[in-house]
Amino acid sequence: MAQDESITGTENAKDIRIGVFVCECGTNIGGVVNCRAVADYAATLPNVVHSVVNKYTCSDAGQSEIKQAIKNHNLNRVLVASCTPKTHEPIFRACVEEGGLNPYLFEFVNIREHCSWIHMQDKDSATKKASELVRMGVSRARLLEPLQSNEVPVTNKALVIGAGVAGMQAALDIADMGYKVYLVEKNPSIGGKMAQLDKTFPTNDCSICILGPKMVEIARNKNIELMTYSEVEEVDGYVGNFKVKVKHKPRFIDTTTCTGCGLCVQKCPVEVPYFEFNEGIGTRKAIYVPFPQAVPLRAVVDKSVCIDCGACIKTCESHSINMEQKETFSDIEVGVIVVTTGYDIYDPEPKHDFGYGLCDNVVTGMELERLLNASGPTMGKLVRPSDAKPPKRIGFVQCVGSRDKNRNRYCSGFCCMYALKDAQLIREKYPDSEVYIMYMDIRSPFRNYEEFYDRARDMGIKFIRGKPGKVDEDKNGNVTVRIEDTLTSNLYNLELDLLVLSVGAVAGESSEHIRHLLKVSRAADGFMMEAHPKLKPVDTNLDGIFIGGVTQGPKDIPYSVSQGSACAARATRYLAQGKATTEGITVEVDDDVCVGCGICVPMCPFQALSLVDGKLNIIKALCKGCGTCATACPTGALQQNHFKNEQLLAQIRGAFTFEGE
Amino acid sequence: MAEKEWEPKIVAFCCNWCSYGGADTAGMGRFQQPSSLRIIRVMCSGRIDPMHVFNAFLEGADAVLVTGCHLGDCHYVNGNYKAEVRYQFLEEMVKQLGLEPERLQLNWISASEGEKFANFVRDVTAKIKELGPSPLKPEGVN
Amino acid sequence: MVEVGDRLLGYATDPNVRSKGASGGLVTAVLAAALEKGLVEGVVILKRIDEYEAVPVITDDVQEVLSSGGSMHAVPVNLAKYVVGKKVAMPGKPCDVRGVIEQAKRNSVDLSNTYIVGLNCGGSMHPVLTKEMLIKMYEIDPEDVVGEEIEKGKLIFKTKSGEEKSISIDKLEEEGYGRRESCRYCDVKIPVSADLACGNWGVIGELAGNATFCEVMNEKGKLLLDTAIEAGYVEVRPADEKSISIREKVNSAMLKLGDEWKEKVFDEIPDKDRLKYYIDQFADCIDCGACKEVCPVCSCGPDSKCTMFHSLADNYKMSMYHMVRLLHLSDSCIGCGQCADVCPVDIPVTTIFRRFANPAQKNRNYMPGMDLKRPPFLEVMLK
Repeated sequence: MAQDESITGTENAKDIRIGVFVCECGTNIGGVVNCRAVADYAATLPNVVHSVVNKYTCSDAGQSEIKQAIKNHNLNRVLVASCTPKTHEPIFRACVEEGGLNPYLFEFVNIREHCSWIHMQDKDSATKKASELVRMGVSRARLLEPLQSNEVPVTNKALVIGAGVAGMQAALDIADMGYKVYLVEKNPSIGGKMAQLDKTFPTNDCSICILGPKMVEIARNKNIELMTYSEVEEVDGYVGNFKVKVKHKPRFIDTTTCTGCGLCVQKCPVEVPYFEFNEGIGTRKAIYVPFPQAVPLRAVVDKSVCIDCGACIKTCESHSINMEQKETFSDIEVGVIVVTTGYDIYDPEPKHDFGYGLCDNVVTGMELERLLNASGPTMGKLVRPSDAKPPKRIGFVQCVGSRDKNRNRYCSGFCCMYALKDAQLIREKYPDSEVYIMYMDIRSPFRNYEEFYDRARDMGIKFIRGKPGKVDEDKNGNVTVRIEDTLTSNLYNLELDLLVLSVGAVAGESSEHIRHLLKVSRAADGFMMEAHPKLKPVDTNLDGIFIGGVTQGPKDIPYSVSQGSACAARATRYLAQGKATTEGITVEVDDDVCVGCGICVPMCPFQALSLVDGKLNIIKALCKGCGTCATACPTGALQQNHFKNEQLLAQIRGAFTFEGE
Repeated sequence: MAEKEWEPKIVAFCCNWCSYGGADTAGMGRFQQPSSLRIIRVMCSGRIDPMHVFNAFLEGADAVLVTGCHLGDCHYVNGNYKAEVRYQFLEEMVKQLGLEPERLQLNWISASEGEKFANFVRDVTAKIKELGPSPLKPEGVN
Repeated sequence: MVEVGDRLLGYATDPNVRSKGASGGLVTAVLAAALEKGLVEGVVILKRIDEYEAVPVITDDVQEVLSSGGSMHAVPVNLAKYVVGKKVAMPGKPCDVRGVIEQAKRNSVDLSNTYIVGLNCGGSMHPVLTKEMLIKMYEIDPEDVVGEEIEKGKLIFKTKSGEEKSISIDKLEEEGYGRRESCRYCDVKIPVSADLACGNWGVIGELAGNATFCEVMNEKGKLLLDTAIEAGYVEVRPADEKSISIREKVNSAMLKLGDEWKEKVFDEIPDKDRLKYYIDQFADCIDCGACKEVCPVCSCGPDSKCTMFHSLADNYKMSMYHMVRLLHLSDSCIGCGQCADVCPVDIPVTTIFRRFANPAQKNRNYMPGMDLKRPPFLEVMLK
């Protein structure tokens, strides 16, 4: 570290001592580029005091040579000409740091991917280009400056937004690791979409029966502070130090005294013809308990329809109803945030999607779940909407709203499996029923899924490969589906009692709101985007913010639960360390040059910039080092470290010379 | 050594996350290209400063390429949209200056699109060879 | 009480101010009232040196404001940079107002503290060229001139000896005199982005030459005028339909003329010659930096991207200074013409910059300096 002190903005040009290491990478580079010639050329460049060729610079031997050279030749800049910084920059930065240099005094030149591998037939040109690339790198290296990454303390609490199965898992795991968790859910009960399902594939076990105990565990866990019927309003701060404002919507119920007995519900005279939990099928009261296994098992009043008759208040033995309740707010401070806000079910459009909304007996998969569910509006008895008669001939249309260039291009992943499951349940319950699945491809990867598909075939479920053309409903409520089986080219007019649309997932409206609050990127499909599709699947580009479950893209329950756990593990790293390291490559402003025009402020997607009393203020911990603001700055006062104007211009200038030079 | 055909010099600004990765992928796939390209790596296409583009031309670049992640894929939320807006200004300027429009090009290339990157370099180089050296190139520079 | 949107005819109540001022002294009286009643701490006035020269000064003396009336066509200085960081009222041509608004976008002017009385402008003249024109075209010694006037498309000069000479502006401009080039093709003649838009267009009948047509553009304009009326400095009455339509007619005739000039000035240079044209034009540049110094929309200090990365030692065909400025001004240039006025080697800087700014602004349907809605550097306007 002592070395760093001497390398500051005040150092003289003549004091800069650059070591150049040209890697042959076996024959990967050496077989095309004359590395010796490149190193010899580099030695002629100003400030280069040491220039060598290595067989493999990244090997232990190569790295020790760098460290040794830093000592022996008193180097204060190191340039390696080898492969790509995308994979090897961290290795060499660590190496020069071990050698006693600030890691940012390292310059990388790519002469493999960008030279030897793409000019294999023209060795002279490749060598000439490699020399020029090194010259550009040397020009830039001369102007490199030491940088420090910043450490910030981390508040050892977590916020989980959304208490579906992924969020519950994340909250439980973080809590079990010994940290306080705030779990915020916008609905009156936790449980999410999984609580609505009847059975789960591929085991056909009862959804709420496996979810219920987990929900109770959430309520009982001392480390979890559950905030239901609440929404995140504002988020401020950065990794380790988020300040979050949570709005608690009035339930009009004192949740500390309500026992969830349901007497009030019986007395309430207002029938609301739309029960959200049952996908709009059946009715609920103006005061209601979301569902029998709800956590918390407390009533809630829908003030938009309440007629203030007072019947519920009179009947409540614990005097828990308070119609004067107002919305309240909590300000909480957390170190990390896990976003598990889930999704919306694709809402079929009457014109586009097989007569949904026009024909009574065309329903969605989720509506079918509620019709099959023992605690659903029909107590699990399957009936069709038009005449409440049990349907005998049932068809499923797959990929509704998914794999559709006019709607969503992506595959929602779980619709094949739930259609197979529901088809089986119907065949089990009603052995005399006929069930058809109209599909494009059946997608059934993962353990026991393909077997589950086989079982459906064995059970006599009929598969027609094709997408329906026309769907009509006659006056008896029977639905006729016109479809071509593309495997046999047979055209059918399939008469059905009930048509089920296997709708997929779309990015949720409330998720989008949270995404904006947090500034998480959005992928092309509308769901939130992970930091890396393979290696950082639950991280976001924002330190300390993680995404799991369908928030990140459509997935089934086991995958969602895994991601919940993954989020917990990734998030808890910060809590356990108690500190976070922020990007060393941030922006910096020269106050003497800055005129406070503010052009840069709206450029920052991370809110790191603001004007305070006419001067630019930078919150370093929020800066991700993209440099967009520095480009916008008309004065040049704002500079991105490591990519300063002078450094980039020097690199550009290094690409050109007078001929014969 | 026999006199070789004139090789243009093209400066490409690449963002760390996508187009630089695209150039890497082109290398990994051994997609052979003319040796005209000189890449300047920045973290985000939003860092590509029009001033740097001018400087590349004034220094002697025969063409300048502005590249980044596909719209919607930016590692920094929307830096590439900002790059696009700036590029439009640059494009109009180049046109008004009377520089051939082919000398300034924008392309969104993901880290997986190695072949696209290589084809882009080949196409631009071929076009610039037709046009000859840039009229902004200082005498005697290459 | 006046209302935003009101179109009025008004004049100063003080007979001295009324007769000295160009058109009934309304503007002078409004500015004086703003100072007197404490709306502002200072007023920008042009301190007359002679008929062709004046320096902008900020005064807190009401008497000085009251005695500052009278129009001077040959003083084209743009006032925007004089109001930076101060709580003032100022009169201003449309380009002055646009400059102030561009400065406000860059946080160097607090518009809530700056009151602008806009003045209709058909163009101004370059002092040096005006003197030359007097000798050549009018055959008058510039020293003998005591007054000037524009009437029915003619420019009239009065001399000490009471003599009057008039020549049509068209003829003057054909000879390369008259209005500055940037004024000829200017797009804004009525300063609608000011707080009050004032001028003599539409003042007819008995009031002609004796009153000012004034449109209240916003709440600040209303406050300015109400203050002056309450203080008894001015009297106003609603303008009738005829006045309003004549003002509009004059405006559209001027704009149409401007468009014709645009065609003439910005004749298409063939693609193959353009780069050479620009290189040749800028070849004489001596790097004095005056064009940046006077630019009313530039808020950078002496250090800025155009200067810091430019060196006389560069062997470039064009300088980084001009390249960067061409870009930075392509969306912000208001075409005030000052850069060309001050260029010591007579590079037609404004016209060159407008060749870049015209298409850039037209393509984006954007006029800088018209309101605060769109920030500088259009790049922040993301969808």
